[in-house]
Amino acid sequence: MIKLRGISKSFGRQQVLNHIDLTVTKGEVVVILGPSGSGKTTLLRCVNYLEKPSSGEIAIGDFSVNCKHARKKEIHQLRQKTAMVFQQYNLFRHKTALENVMEGLLVVKKLPKEDARKRSIALLEKVGLGSKLDAYPSQLSGGQQQRVGIARALAMEPEVILFDEPTSALDPELVGEVLAVIRKIAKEGITMIVVTHEMSFARDVANHVVFMDGGLIVEEGTPVEVFNHPREERTKQFLKRITPELNYSI
Amino acid sequence: MGEPFDFSYVWSFLPKLLSTLSTTLLIVVSSLLAGIIVGFIVALPRLYKVPVLRTLSEIYISFFRGTPILIQLFLFYYGLPEILKLVQVDVTRAPVLVFVILTYGLHTGAYMSEMIRASVTAVDKGQVEAAYAAGMTGYQAFTRIVLPQALAIAVPVFSNLVIALLKDTSLAFTLGVMEMTGKAQTLGAVTQHFIETYIALALIYLVISFSIEKLLGMAEHRLLRHEDRNSPVKKTFGIHRNRSYRRIIAEMESGKGGVGL
Ligand SMILES: Nc1ncnc2c1ncn2[C@@H]1O[C@H](COP(=O)(O)OP(=O)(O)OP(=O)(O)O)[C@@H](O)[C@H]1O
Ligand SMILES: [Mg+2]
Repeated sequence: MIKLRGISKSFGRQQVLNHIDLTVTKGEVVVILGPSGSGKTTLLRCVNYLEKPSSGEIAIGDFSVNCKHARKKEIHQLRQKTAMVFQQYNLFRHKTALENVMEGLLVVKKLPKEDARKRSIALLEKVGLGSKLDAYPSQLSGGQQQRVGIARALAMEPEVILFDEPTSALDPELVGEVLAVIRKIAKEGITMIVVTHEMSFARDVANHVVFMDGGLIVEEGTPVEVFNHPREERTKQFLKRITPELNYSI
Repeated sequence: MGEPFDFSYVWSFLPKLLSTLSTTLLIVVSSLLAGIIVGFIVALPRLYKVPVLRTLSEIYISFFRGTPILIQLFLFYYGLPEILKLVQVDVTRAPVLVFVILTYGLHTGAYMSEMIRASVTAVDKGQVEAAYAAGMTGYQAFTRIVLPQALAIAVPVFSNLVIALLKDTSLAFTLGVMEMTGKAQTLGAVTQHFIETYIALALIYLVISFSIEKLLGMAEHRLLRHEDRNSPVKKTFGIHRNRSYRRIIAEMESGKGGVGL
């Protein structure tokens, strides 16, 4: 279980996150929606401390960090309990697909090379890249690179995987293959927090939908609650804009 | 002036000039080593934005990039002993080569630090974040992710710097050092075949420059084997990975040209 308590973040004078509380139970898929600039990316990046929250508490299982005075060791532990899949994939460009997945296992988890290799190959096969083990990122399509990114995240066996718009840098025809992989691992009960603009994906994969605006969680609930019966005006406006073909009951 | 031109002298001068090649190479290699170390030390405060030290680095770099190497040589050779005299240190008996290597080392160090800074910043920050997100330490992320890629980016600039340094060492003769250019001056004066000595001298510099460029070009090719030159990804994201484009940037940033072969 992951608990965020009172997470705030300011960049200079601008407050980007305003006391965010969020609870994610084990095996849950949480989808975060919201207009551009609402703080979705910043929230995800606070969870693994790529961005230092101004205040708040992050708890994963029975491990918790007070963000104000987090120590190096705690940040390190936090990062080992989480994994991230980036919008721009961020693969290590000088390493092959297999080496990208193995890297964390060797360097962080200190696994013997042969074990790391076996585990990485299995994961790459799982995301459909069993034939691309030795390809460098520059030789892979965006969709393939992102699937390597997902395998790399899975390899670390984190308590939660954070996805920041994993398909928004992809050509439309490549979105499907990546979403299919995310769906597949969601079904296996891996806890994830996904920022996405893919509404149909959010509808049928999410257990929990969070709508953010202006650094606040405006509304949250099951997909049916949020998509079909939104209570807040801001949510309705947003959904209308993003899926104009659907008519929401006002 | 001098004797009538006779091309056969060029050939006979070659081995005579080559006998001083070791002095030229000694200056190049020692200055390079010094330059790399100085370059790292000077680049760090700029990379990590350390207040005061960063300004000092910048002043150092502007001085060595903004003044002629010949003036730097004179300042160190004639000026440094005077300054050190004030603090009761006598270096007037130190060999000239020490001053020469010191000057070239500091001079190259300024360019090296720019090269190091530019190459490290050129490695995409997203990969460093991915390394941190996976739980790597700053040191692990730097040595395993940034350094190997920064090295590949640095090679063409490094290659230009080595060649520029090689050519700059020809000025050491002004302090009386018997490196290749100094030797050529004496040979010319003794035989009165100046043109022939300079042709022979130019040939030697050219062959060394060319070899350095080719060797380092091979090294770069090896270090960049992960970049597929025809992939669509590279066309969109990898402008700075394009070889010829990078070379242009490299030359602009270092302010020194290679042989251009
Ligand atoms: N490093 C930063 N420095 C200063 N301001 C920042 C920084 N990162 C984000 N911001 C600001 O914080 C706000 C929230 O940004 P964030 O990227 O979290 O939004 P988002 O919801 O992910 O938007 P999008 O849908 O466009 O990705 C924006 O106003 C942005 O300008
Ligand atoms: Mg974002």
